[in-house]
Amino acid sequence: MGLLDRVVAGWRARSAVAQGDDELFDDEFQRKLDYLALISRRVFAGRMRADRRTKKSGSGIEFADYRAYQPGDDFRYLDWNIYQRFDRLLVRLFEEEEDLAIYFILDVSASMGFGDARKLRYAKKLCAALAYVGLANLDRVCIVTTTNQVLGRMPDTRGKARIFKVFRFLKETRPGGTTDLGEALKVFVAQHKRRGLAVLVSDLYDPSGFERGINVLRYNKFDPFVVHVIDPAEGHPKLTGDVLVYDCETGDEREVTVTAKVLERFAQAHLGYLHSIERFAATHQVPYIAADMNIPFEELILRVFRRGGFLR
Amino acid sequence: MFFSGLAFAELASLFAVAGGVVVLLYILKLRRRTVAVPFAPLWERILRDKDATTLFSRLKRLLSLLLQLLLLALLVFALGDPRAVETLLQGRTFVVLIDASASMQATDVAPSRMGAAKEQAKKMIRGMGGADRMLLAQMDAMVTPLGPMTGDTADLERMLDRVHVTDARADFPRALRFATDSLRGASEGEVVVISDGALGEARDASGAVSMGAAKLVFVPIGNAARNVAITQFSVRRYPLDKSRYEVMIEVTNTGPEEEQIELSLIGDGQVVDMTKLKLRPAERLPRFYPNLSGASRTLEATLVPLEGSVDVLAADNHAYALLPERQRAKVLVVTEGNTYLEAALLLDEYLEVTEVTPKKYPEKSSERWDVVVFDRVTPTELPKAHALFLDPRGPGAPVKVDVELKQPGFDKIDRKHPIVRHTALDDVNIALGHKLIAEPGDKAVGVSEGASPILVAGTRKGYKFVALGFDLRDSDLPLRIAWPLLVLNTVNWFTGEDSNYLSSFRTGDIWRIPVVAGAKEAIVKLPAGATERVPVHEGRAVLLGLYAGFYELSVGDEKTPFAANLIDEAESAVAPMDKLLVGGKEAGQLGGFKVGVRREIWIYVLLLVVLLTALEWATYHRRVTV
Repeated sequence: MGLLDRVVAGWRARSAVAQGDDELFDDEFQRKLDYLALISRRVFAGRMRADRRTKKSGSGIEFADYRAYQPGDDFRYLDWNIYQRFDRLLVRLFEEEEDLAIYFILDVSASMGFGDARKLRYAKKLCAALAYVGLANLDRVCIVTTTNQVLGRMPDTRGKARIFKVFRFLKETRPGGTTDLGEALKVFVAQHKRRGLAVLVSDLYDPSGFERGINVLRYNKFDPFVVHVIDPAEGHPKLTGDVLVYDCETGDEREVTVTAKVLERFAQAHLGYLHSIERFAATHQVPYIAADMNIPFEELILRVFRRGGFLR
Repeated sequence: MFFSGLAFAELASLFAVAGGVVVLLYILKLRRRTVAVPFAPLWERILRDKDATTLFSRLKRLLSLLLQLLLLALLVFALGDPRAVETLLQGRTFVVLIDASASMQATDVAPSRMGAAKEQAKKMIRGMGGADRMLLAQMDAMVTPLGPMTGDTADLERMLDRVHVTDARADFPRALRFATDSLRGASEGEVVVISDGALGEARDASGAVSMGAAKLVFVPIGNAARNVAITQFSVRRYPLDKSRYEVMIEVTNTGPEEEQIELSLIGDGQVVDMTKLKLRPAERLPRFYPNLSGASRTLEATLVPLEGSVDVLAADNHAYALLPERQRAKVLVVTEGNTYLEAALLLDEYLEVTEVTPKKYPEKSSERWDVVVFDRVTPTELPKAHALFLDPRGPGAPVKVDVELKQPGFDKIDRKHPIVRHTALDDVNIALGHKLIAEPGDKAVGVSEGASPILVAGTRKGYKFVALGFDLRDSDLPLRIAWPLLVLNTVNWFTGEDSNYLSSFRTGDIWRIPVVAGAKEAIVKLPAGATERVPVHEGRAVLLGLYAGFYELSVGDEKTPFAANLIDEAESAVAPMDKLLVGGKEAGQLGGFKVGVRREIWIYVLLLVVLLTALEWATYHRRVTV
């Protein structure tokens, strides 16, 4: 693959994204968002903001836990009944009620912009829709774009009216760069001290392993929620004969003679990769949604809501 | 094994160069099509598995190269035109005689006997060995080689296409002599006769034909014998009434079963007579049609088998004839008065007779008449017309008049001469006559006792003459029926009209047709409409007639029509023969031809190349060999 070929391919992908983004968040899309917000209220009726709690002990009214008294603690929270019965000073902890921080970590690596960048457009739509639902529920919404680093950041915002800010931010996002979720999310967690729901929207094509990025979130007490953008066509590439395949991110080349058998094995490998992600999420109790691009995004959003975990 | 194409050294050089190019092309790495993928590690996973089979892949690539080299080697081998040594040593030489006689038109085998014969010949050609050579010849009234002796099967098949059946009989002895002459000096020579067997005995004027060292092989054709034929057809005008004519037709059933036919006689395109006939096996049925009139020029006899009857040969179902054309002849009679002569000439209405006395004889303008009759007078010089001299005397006589003969008679008569046809002159009584002295070339038609010619016919300066050596009044000849016949025969002989005119020629003969003096070439229009140039020899157009029907011979503006017929009972007897005997020996059977098996190895090598290429193509596209 010559340099010129790659430049042309990249330019085509970018121009495709630019053309697609102009119509990405049109009126029709916004109407759909209103509809989804309405649906989300019905799904999560009775579990709205006032019920949201963090594990952070604070000034709430619902008992959460005990801990040993330390000098300086407020005497009002000492449990005198326990002291009387066990002769130990324990402080009652209450869950603090606060607004939820939702971080949308959008993978904008070159693999997301592969071909006509339909994966990235789909991911942007998902992001926008989920962000709208979050904003409508008065959560703090922050969007971060990553490749092998944190590229862009839309600062925390709340309120439904700020959705246009989200649109603007997403529209300006362009694919490019290599994926390294591990490194990028290390930077992310370092930059965001306030823990919250981290919705990772990515194709998880990470040469260094998709697990690393998710684990970084887990280990830093974020609640990861993986939205795996899957283009089923990628499992069945239209290739034949002797070809030189190259990775659109890393440029790694490999000579392949594509036969029906090879294509079959590739489809199996692709499926196996998807299963490995699913298995990882299940094993580590990470909420996971396979965002198949053949499924209309409205239906997928509802599936996310029903899956639970996104809004508690 | 030897190479009859390129030499081994040339082949080796060719293979070395081409093989080098193939290997070079194989070593050169093809530029692959580049394709972007979103996540290459997935490909690497499956390629890791594939790496395990790299050795096998390399082996397959090597096999592919070896296959290419094998294909190249086979092609180079084919270029050498390899032959087995046996084929060089054991080449045979064939002369194939294909019977093209009329009987081969029989349709008892599909499409016809000729078609079946050609098919047999084609099988032989395709079954020839690499070193075999063949000469194809058509055998009809003559033998016609269709090309040179060759081993090229394509040429031979083209020659075979030129074989065409005729309406003539086959001249088997001549064909055999041609075949044996062609095989002279050739080892393993074979004469193959493809025929229905109606060939007659292999004997001609030179005696029985000897086959020499050549082997005779007979390929029989045909399987049925039912046929009815017109075996005789004759037409003539009546000598004394030329407006009328009589026809004789003989129909023969040559087959083994009873047949019913309808026989039609057609004159100038109009049906003159139609008869239904029943013929028992081998029965000949002559039919005589006297006193016919109505047709002035052409006559055709046609027979059609009726329902339930079979006639496998159509060629002998037609017979053609032309009636002699009537010409009004101008006759000048130079006489003092001869009632008998006048009466005889009156019998033919087509004669335009002028009578003059000897004194009024226009000697200078005699060429105005076709015939001049001198009755007891002799001109000072011979007329420029045909002339009948009755009792000639004097210097102008065409023959010298010798001594007087007392009571001469027609003791010796040349009965074949046309002027005495149908006459009975033996007992004519003559009181007094003169001996005529014929010149060399003259014909003494009637000779009296003592070798004294009294009736002489001949030619002087291109004009015919007849001289009668006695006065009619001194004999009882005028009282006999022979007299007017003699006069009319003479006039007819002079004018070319022959009351026994041969109404048609027979196919298979060499025809000699009189044409106008001085012509060197004539054009003959065949029954099928085609025209041919024919040579003229001694005043006659000479051609070999092969087809029945009406012909027209043209020399300048003068056109001479004539008819030709097959009328050959031997050809009409279409029963096929199982055996062919020549010199008492039976011909052998055909053998040694394997249709579809060629001895040129290169054909099979090329087939193998095509097969291997197809295999390579199929395995490549199914990704077996890549």
